[in-house]
Amino acid sequence: MTPLANALACLIALGCALFLWRKGSSPYRNGALLAGFLLLFGVFTYFGGEMFDARSINLSLEMYPFRMMALCLCLSTTSLALYRRRYLVLAQALWFWVELFGGIALFYRGLDVAWTRILAIFWMGFCSTFLSKISKEMEFCLMVFWLAVWVFF
Amino acid sequence: MGMNRRDFIKSCSLVAMMGLLGACRKIPLDKIAGEPSLKQFQDEVRLAMSQTKKMLDLVKVSKPGPLRIPGASSVNRFGMAIDLDLCDGCGECILACNLENNVPLVTAEEAQKGHFMHWMELRGGSPLMCAHCGNAPCEKVCPTGAASHTPDGLSTMMYKRCTGSRFCGANCPIKARKFNFNDAQKMGLARKFNNEVPLREKGVMEKCSLCLHRLQNDRLQFKTLSAEEWRGRGVTTACSDACKRRAIIFGNWLDEKSPLVREKLPT
Amino acid sequence: MFRYLMAVGLVLFLPGLYALGLSLYDGPSAWMVDSQTFWGTPISLFVFWIGLAHAGTLLSAVFVALDIKLDRRTALIAELSTLSSLVFAAIYPLMHLGVIENFYMVAPFADARGNFANVRSPLVWDFCCIAVYALLSLLFFVTHLKARKTPSLEKYRKPMAWLLFPLVLWVHTIVSLDFATTFVPEWRGAFFPVYFIAGAIFSGLALVNLILCTEGYRVRLLERLQLICSWFMCAIWIWDFMLKGSFCTSAFVFAGLFPQLRMVSVIRENKWGRVALSLSVLLGLFLERLYLVSPEFGSSATATFGWVDLGLLMFSVGGFMLVFFGARRLLDRYAESAGSYFGEVDGSDMAKAEEAEEAEREGFRGIEKTKKGFYIQPWSSEEYRQLRFPLLLGVVVTALFTLWIFEQQSFENVELSFANVIPLWYPLFAFMAALTLFVRAYFVEKSFVLHRAEKIIGGALLLCLGACAGAFFAGGASEKPVEQFVRDMDAVSGVHAEDLNRVAMVWNARCATCHGTDGRFNEKFVREYYPVPQKLDLARLDSLGVDSLVRVVWNGRNNMNSYAGRLTLDEARGLVLYMRHLAQKVPEEETEGKK
Repeated sequence: MTPLANALACLIALGCALFLWRKGSSPYRNGALLAGFLLLFGVFTYFGGEMFDARSINLSLEMYPFRMMALCLCLSTTSLALYRRRYLVLAQALWFWVELFGGIALFYRGLDVAWTRILAIFWMGFCSTFLSKISKEMEFCLMVFWLAVWVFF
Repeated sequence: MGMNRRDFIKSCSLVAMMGLLGACRKIPLDKIAGEPSLKQFQDEVRLAMSQTKKMLDLVKVSKPGPLRIPGASSVNRFGMAIDLDLCDGCGECILACNLENNVPLVTAEEAQKGHFMHWMELRGGSPLMCAHCGNAPCEKVCPTGAASHTPDGLSTMMYKRCTGSRFCGANCPIKARKFNFNDAQKMGLARKFNNEVPLREKGVMEKCSLCLHRLQNDRLQFKTLSAEEWRGRGVTTACSDACKRRAIIFGNWLDEKSPLVREKLPT
Repeated sequence: MFRYLMAVGLVLFLPGLYALGLSLYDGPSAWMVDSQTFWGTPISLFVFWIGLAHAGTLLSAVFVALDIKLDRRTALIAELSTLSSLVFAAIYPLMHLGVIENFYMVAPFADARGNFANVRSPLVWDFCCIAVYALLSLLFFVTHLKARKTPSLEKYRKPMAWLLFPLVLWVHTIVSLDFATTFVPEWRGAFFPVYFIAGAIFSGLALVNLILCTEGYRVRLLERLQLICSWFMCAIWIWDFMLKGSFCTSAFVFAGLFPQLRMVSVIRENKWGRVALSLSVLLGLFLERLYLVSPEFGSSATATFGWVDLGLLMFSVGGFMLVFFGARRLLDRYAESAGSYFGEVDGSDMAKAEEAEEAEREGFRGIEKTKKGFYIQPWSSEEYRQLRFPLLLGVVVTALFTLWIFEQQSFENVELSFANVIPLWYPLFAFMAALTLFVRAYFVEKSFVLHRAEKIIGGALLLCLGACAGAFFAGGASEKPVEQFVRDMDAVSGVHAEDLNRVAMVWNARCATCHGTDGRFNEKFVREYYPVPQKLDLARLDSLGVDSLVRVVWNGRNNMNSYAGRLTLDEARGLVLYMRHLAQKVPEEETEGKK
């Protein structure tokens, strides 16, 4: 997957995150949106990444739509009205989960585990539990961190 | 109902008692069937060869170097090469392997379906057996550790430690492993042609061992009588012995005097 | 009502029991010889029932942890369904083994001979996770029941819920890694953890909704979640299709399309309509797992879903009905009235509950507001104070365990990495933490009251566990019937005691790994075994005499197995004489000095 496609992926995730958890939205709307986004991310990965090259499937892209979804959920929690910190931590835990166990599965198929990425996400999640008030600046910081981890790690 | 409750219960229990007594005849559960003949083994190999199996895609690999696991021997790594141009698909190797390793027969239905216990198979006219992978997928997933790797480069199988989870067989990319679905000894499908190799019980996995017993015997003898380092020179596997066209070459990748290294293999 | 369901369960269970018996007797050939992947229906059923077990914990533990309001009765029913599902989920991995009596070798636990389970294998992770999950679920359920009588136990529910919450997800993730770590083309997928968890939640919700229909009420929140999950599963199935090109149509129809009919109010309001929806979801997800684990059902023409497979399915369904409804009736019978154990039904919607909470929070300003949920630092919350010491203990034990694994002799030739061991961390951690909580509740605070019957059962279970641990440590015997070996030995030319070279080879083959070849015998491993083997020098050998030493070789002693079936008497005698020959080579000064 080219770095450009990678960056485009996180922009798409950011764009999708704007639509989730709006005020007064029903769980149906949110659920359908989330499922739809997953589908969108899947289609994007299929056409955007080099999935089928040189007769073999690029293994690391197998969990890419799910990583995008986890990132999208993380980004979306910054706009929640209630229980923001709790769901922030949970969303980061989801991202950590996808990365860790996806990494272990790929480790058995020959790829190296991206330890730095996993540790970065874990550390951010852990530190998020110490936040007491998430100001606008803190929200922005968090989003920047996540996008940085996505693009650089 | 014509009879009252008491009589009904009486007659029911009487029937039950008679049934139990009838079932008490001695059922010969542990009767061991007779031994199969050599001809049966030969016929089965012929049947296996008649069923064509597609060969896997061939890929080019470089000559193996030393094994890359902790504690690997730096002087011994046993392996095998098969010259596909020389091989004419006669199947003598399969029969020799079966007799050497006491590989059991299978029932007629399984034979029809093509599920044999042969450690070596002919696929697309060329023999295929366990590749003794340096980073074996089967060894990684065996839950009890029955599938392990020797420092000499053999992928070994401890039958007594096997619990029959069949995870190794599922994970083998070339499907070289066989599972003992039947109790071969009880069903008269196994015969101990070779006393050096144990008969496997029902429920354990087995596969090509690169004639480990021959290697072990040679090692013992060599180490008892001499203080030099053992390189496994002169040891051959049953299949390489049987091949009339010398297409199967067994040897030691790290020994410059081994036929594997000496003969000009196309790189 | 429950009686009739139990009767139906019995009708399904008995033929299933027969199928199970046949499978145990015949072994794996009873249900599959045609398999492409060596795993068949039992593993599909295992994954299915483990998934169903998760919903119970999700609804009880997770909702408790996240402060989502669910009435007590639904939570207890969910927990009970978890326990009933786990019983059957645990049976299948055991029955599918080729050599069932070796099942204990999968446990990462010490062995007298130095063997250790291969911790790189996902099946070992499975074993640990499911064992710990079953234990913690049971503990959580019992705590919940007892909390009614002893309110001081209430403070343990949330910490335990926080322990169970990740454990539930961890267990199903490990189950998914059983497949995702392999090279089987149909099982490719680094996304399997999320996929399986979504499927587990989906099927579990369907099961709980089904059970609630038998109870006679409904919880709309759960039905809504069921519908939302179906959308998720469709998205995941489409991704799976894009990746592999295979699509399980029957699963899509039953678990993807039919649940959408919930939007039709006629079906939704009718009890039988809801039952049909839930059953459709369960059937669809079962088929999906069946086709995933056994791809030959879809591709090969000869592989058929035989009557043994059907019997195994019926065994679990019928058995679940028996166990669940039986336990339900038992709990009803021991309560004063039907409601008191299980609590009243709360028909509130999720939206209404949130509104009520908001109203509460707007109402009170000041300190009370900050005491609710996550508004305070999680590290100063009540749950964390309960969990501080257990967590520390858990971390320490897990670290020690990891070190212990890495230094095992079995892994000398193996490249062990952290990725192999991480899946074992959380179950062990959660187990130690829960154990500490239990010890604190039972012994220290004495708030976990056990009736005498429960104490007896608990004691008996502990004794069984100890006995099993001892048996696992000792390991099985390695001999076959002596007659078989004697027959084999007679065929091989015997070794004569006088033939030193031949005897030397037998010594090198059998005895040298422990006793060495330099004549110092037991000194090599004197620190590694207990009881400590005695020192054998020439004088000691002579005083013991050839006959008694031959007897030791023949019958075994302490950690040395008996060689009765594996050597002829002649060879044993030759070995003892050879020992004397080796002992003579040890320099005189050494033996003098040690005297």
